Amino acid sequence: MALAVAVLAAFDYSAPERMQFETDLSWIPGLNLRFHLGLDGISLPLVVLTALLSFLCFGYLAGRPSGPSQDATRLGVLRPRALVFTLLVLEFGMLGTFVALDLLLFFVFFEVVLIPMYFVIAIWGGTHRRAAAIKFILYTLLGSAVLLLGLLLIWSQTGTLDMVALAKSHPMSRSVQIIAFVAIGIGLAVKTPMWPLHTWLPDAHTEAPTVGSVLLAGVLLKMGTYGFARIAIPILPEGAEAVAPWLGAFAVIGIVYGSLACLAQNDLKRMIAYSSVGHMGFVLLGFATLTPVGINAALFGNVAHGLITGLLFFIAGAIKERYGTADMTRLGGGMLTRLPYVGSLLTFACIASLGLPGLAGFWGEMLALQGAFQPATALPRPLFLTFMTIGGLGAVLTAAYFLLMLSRITHGHPGEPTTTPPGPPVDTAEGIPDLTEPVAAATESTGDSAIPAPGTDRGLIAHGSDEAEGPAVPVGGGDEFAASAGGMHRAEESGVPVGPQAMVDPGAAVEMPRVEESAVPVGGGDRSEGSSVRVRGTDRTEESVVLVRGDDVVEVISGGGGQPGPGSKLADVMPSELAAWVPLVALTVFFGLWPSALLALTDPAVQSLLGAP
Amino acid sequence: MHVVYPAVVAALLFSIGVYGVLARRNTILVLMSVELMLNAVNLNLVTFDVWLRDQLHGGQVLTLFVIVIAAAEVGIGLAIVLAVFRNRQSIDLDRLRDLFEPPNSSDPDGSQPAATKVTTGVGPE
Amino acid sequence: MIVAAALIVLLPFAAAVAGLLGSRWPGGVSRTEENNLRANRRAAWFAVSAAVAALALTLWLAWQTSGSGGSGDLFWAEFLPGSAEGTLTVIGTGAIPISVGLQVNGLSVLTAILVTVVALAVQVYSVGYLRGDSRFPSYSAFISLFTSAMLLVVFAADLLVLYVGWEIMGLCSYLLIGHWWEDRANSRAAVKAFLVTRLGDVAFLFGIFTLGFAAGSFRIDDIIAANLPTGTLILATMLLLGGVAGKSAQVPLHTWLPDAMAGPTPISALIHAATMVAAGIFIVARLFPLFPQPTLDVLGVLAAIGMLGAALAAFAQDDLKRILAYSTISQLAYMAAALAAGSPNAAIFHLTSHGAFKALLFLCAGAVIHHVGSNLLSHMGGLRRAMPITFWTMTIGFAALMGLPPTSGFFSKDAVVLAIEHSTSPIRLLLYGSALITVGVTGAYAIRAWLRTFFGEEHVQALAEPAPGTAHVFDGREAPRTMVWPISLLAIPALLFGFIGVADMDWPSAAISLLVALLGAGIVYTAWRSAPHADPARLLGPFRAPCEQAFYLDRAYAALIARPILSLARGVVRTDTHVVDGAVRGSARLTIGLSSFAKLAQNGNAQLYVTGLLAGVLLIAVGAVMWG
Repeated sequence: MALAVAVLAAFDYSAPERMQFETDLSWIPGLNLRFHLGLDGISLPLVVLTALLSFLCFGYLAGRPSGPSQDATRLGVLRPRALVFTLLVLEFGMLGTFVALDLLLFFVFFEVVLIPMYFVIAIWGGTHRRAAAIKFILYTLLGSAVLLLGLLLIWSQTGTLDMVALAKSHPMSRSVQIIAFVAIGIGLAVKTPMWPLHTWLPDAHTEAPTVGSVLLAGVLLKMGTYGFARIAIPILPEGAEAVAPWLGAFAVIGIVYGSLACLAQNDLKRMIAYSSVGHMGFVLLGFATLTPVGINAALFGNVAHGLITGLLFFIAGAIKERYGTADMTRLGGGMLTRLPYVGSLLTFACIASLGLPGLAGFWGEMLALQGAFQPATALPRPLFLTFMTIGGLGAVLTAAYFLLMLSRITHGHPGEPTTTPPGPPVDTAEGIPDLTEPVAAATESTGDSAIPAPGTDRGLIAHGSDEAEGPAVPVGGGDEFAASAGGMHRAEESGVPVGPQAMVDPGAAVEMPRVEESAVPVGGGDRSEGSSVRVRGTDRTEESVVLVRGDDVVEVISGGGGQPGPGSKLADVMPSELAAWVPLVALTVFFGLWPSALLALTDPAVQSLLGAP
Repeated sequence: MHVVYPAVVAALLFSIGVYGVLARRNTILVLMSVELMLNAVNLNLVTFDVWLRDQLHGGQVLTLFVIVIAAAEVGIGLAIVLAVFRNRQSIDLDRLRDLFEPPNSSDPDGSQPAATKVTTGVGPE
Repeated sequence: MIVAAALIVLLPFAAAVAGLLGSRWPGGVSRTEENNLRANRRAAWFAVSAAVAALALTLWLAWQTSGSGGSGDLFWAEFLPGSAEGTLTVIGTGAIPISVGLQVNGLSVLTAILVTVVALAVQVYSVGYLRGDSRFPSYSAFISLFTSAMLLVVFAADLLVLYVGWEIMGLCSYLLIGHWWEDRANSRAAVKAFLVTRLGDVAFLFGIFTLGFAAGSFRIDDIIAANLPTGTLILATMLLLGGVAGKSAQVPLHTWLPDAMAGPTPISALIHAATMVAAGIFIVARLFPLFPQPTLDVLGVLAAIGMLGAALAAFAQDDLKRILAYSTISQLAYMAAALAAGSPNAAIFHLTSHGAFKALLFLCAGAVIHHVGSNLLSHMGGLRRAMPITFWTMTIGFAALMGLPPTSGFFSKDAVVLAIEHSTSPIRLLLYGSALITVGVTGAYAIRAWLRTFFGEEHVQALAEPAPGTAHVFDGREAPRTMVWPISLLAIPALLFGFIGVADMDWPSAAISLLVALLGAGIVYTAWRSAPHADPARLLGPFRAPCEQAFYLDRAYAALIARPILSLARGVVRTDTHVVDGAVRGSARLTIGLSSFAKLAQNGNAQLYVTGLLAGVLLIAVGAVMWG
């Protein structure tokens, strides 16, 4: 990471189209393969992104309390050193891909990342990890085999493997270029992923552990699109021209398809995986336009997606850990009540992901649409205008599913999961007031007439989400205000039990007289990680670890890795997690408000690669 | 003596050996047939060594090698036959089919590749 | 001056950031009672001080740009002829660069005054309205963010910068409507608002692209000066209309506005009465030279439908805020009609006066709701004795809405009608007829709301807890001071602002519209007098239900759009699992199937293997001999 920052500082920003920091060593002289590495304006952001995400992953791993396996993801428990080793090998492969300037060297690094990723999913993943891991590796290997054929074709036709040299001169005939582009394109398309070669992604993401998902979505997907920018388009321009309409078509199908699939998903991580398909669709659309603005858009969208989806997966992993599941029907609602900071960060990440201007995702999408508005002169314009329109509608659908997901999870009342948790009752250590009392149904809801019933607008969505929310969320809508408004209403008055399910009164002021308000500021990312774990000295026989946060909530975890009980309080965001997330948030906002930072880097390089007129 | 005679004899011996290897059920007979084939080869080697008047007598030297190797091989072969007999009370070659894979239901996800054992061996052609 | 404009935009933004991150942080972070109050106070300071600063700077800007000697038929050009422009940086994208810059001219200053005044009023009002709400810091921060975004829209010099502000407004609208998200209905309303406006915004973006690429630049001045061909202009402006319709709640993208009333009333006042919905009208006025007649005709038709339909719907509602919401749709259609008639003058005049009196009405409604604990007219009555200040100010507001002299509404509405009369548009007859009938219906629903709220006998029940979606209950007293002051202050422009346009009045036409308004009011009044307990809306007879349901448009959208998309989504997932992934799994099955063919040869018989070996050797030998 430090090296990446050093490179960032030393990069010559006035000439980002030139290859810098080149290393050119003879590697396999017999085959004329050279160990040629270098950075330019296109690779630099991706290299820094990779280093940053890997660094944050390690920070995230380091800060996790390694107690009894309280999470369903096995991350903190199982063979941590092997995990670190695997992730380091993965980082090696990822960084190598972005700096390689020799075609076969690129391919080697491209393949290197598959093995560690397989292990990450297969060993540290979820319940169906085996199948998902095998599907992932076989599918991407198949794609890579086709990619290799394309690269070999280039080699046989031109006799050189050096990307820089190849980008400058294009000696191959048109039909050969088309074949090579298709071959390389298929290989990269599996990685990107492009519809219809995308089906490995949802399974892989659903079963992968948090750090695996972050790196998979944040970096590995970028390797596919980087290949387009570095290899396919510069070296095979005529092939690109011929195939670009197809590329664009598949891209917009992916956008709409991904959005529609997200609307019907129940698993949070699967939904984010499909949203990646949609975002990569925008990136591919940008590439398909073959204009500087389109490719700039694609590269920008790459980096933005890496940041934002990385953040989303971090948060999803955190949610999965706390609730024990990522299934939205079992998560219930009301996360903003139980975990206000996590909920707010989730809202921020979703808003960034749907492409709101002012945040990084917007520029990628908007510039891609702009590129499609006026594609390269050799491409059929009406077709691309159609693509642009469909892409725009896809953007609306993207907003729809993210907001609906937020509505399902963060809004509403905290509902219990539909399955009863297996662990012992959660109300444990003394000194913590019993918060599992039933919600005071003290207020008769003065009728929903106070809120104008929106009629049947989106009624279906409402029904869908209400059913998804689980049974009998008590209609006690007003009590939240009682709690917050009066501030005096506590759960202990009028304990009219609402059914057999107990709910926490979340808005009430939580008095924890014996918990030290060790004023841990929310932004303190550099606090000693260990301070967040403290075992309460109680005389309980079972292993309860109480996570004390200087925040308002306290988690009591009983030693049985089941879901937290319905009445339990969940730990809100912890310092280690914040340390991992805040840089991503900051960068998202930064690039959103100042896109020139990235565009100035990529534009000259793109112009030179395309042979600017 | 013309070279034809020993060559034809060797060929005939070889053919008998091939027949024995391919068509006999008794494993010891198969081993004997292998011996027969090897000896036919020996005869051939000596014949041609004499016919070509090789200075170095390469053929005869190779014959000695083959005799030794045949002896070693039949020793091990008979040891294996003995072990098989002790285990299965039979040395019927047609019954020794452990390399056979009975057809089982294929896994739709392909998630258990270990279930399908990769069988070595040469296909028909 | 540009620095001032930049500050005007940035100060509320800074307040928003400070409010979000810094309200709780140094100090107690847990949500205890005391911490909540402290955070609320701090957040209120951030928000209000930024609003005050922005207002002060805007007034200074107005002073700087004012003067006489302005020319042209745009009234703001007369009063505020100065202008300035400045660019911070240019973003090179590879195609047309985006210039991040601001510009100040009369129109933007005028609109900015409206925005900052209403924003300040709303911020102060909210302090009282949401006292004790534990989420007040984020609420006020989002209002500040919204203000900043709207001011960015107003002062933007480049269309894409404007778009950024445009969308951020939509976001803040979502966040604020869903402020009480514990109730799922609010959440749904917020999502609906965002999605409907987003749909319009996509078309808006495409319109921007068309204009930008045709003109070679995204700067507004460059585009206006570029003299683009009419075909391009028609296409581009039709697309822009999409965004206008979405943001300004014109037919057919208006369905989000009544449901947006689920948010707190100050939000309704700020966003859905005075500012955000005015943004669409603002942009048409700003880019008016670009709008060719066909587009304006389309706008006019939509306006005509919208104004009458919304007015009828307003007449039949029982919820006070929904009445005001439909009234907003109707008044916005008025402004759109003025634009369609070719007079941005009248449109902006009505925009500003409507902003003042509608914000006033909403804030007063908030006070009433605050007092009664319910939104419904059937729960109100006889409040004029209990809440005198609110009564008088709301009366002024309703009078302005109806267009009674001497309120500002009288002058601005007549400016609109006059513009329609004098226009050369082919649809002027439709516009005129629709406008006149709407004046009547407006009078009717305004009187109905006024009478049923303040007169008659009191229905106020002692409600223990407020319903979800309303703030806390105070009964028996007038609204708290923080709420009364903004109301009273807003009443002044509502009353007096209209005199700006007194010189352009055409008294005969004004008299006609006044008569129509009084006629509508009179009918309702007599109906009410005859049966004070019954709802005058019964006059609609069998049409009451359709009017109340806004002609079932919501249901139509749900059936035609929402439901098919959801079933399509499920279909996509099924396709993905069975077809696409099925192909993947099928390839695995195919491979295993093929291998089972190959397995046939592996029957375990060693002699078979040797046979094969020998046969192969034979073939090779033959081959070598024959072709070797």
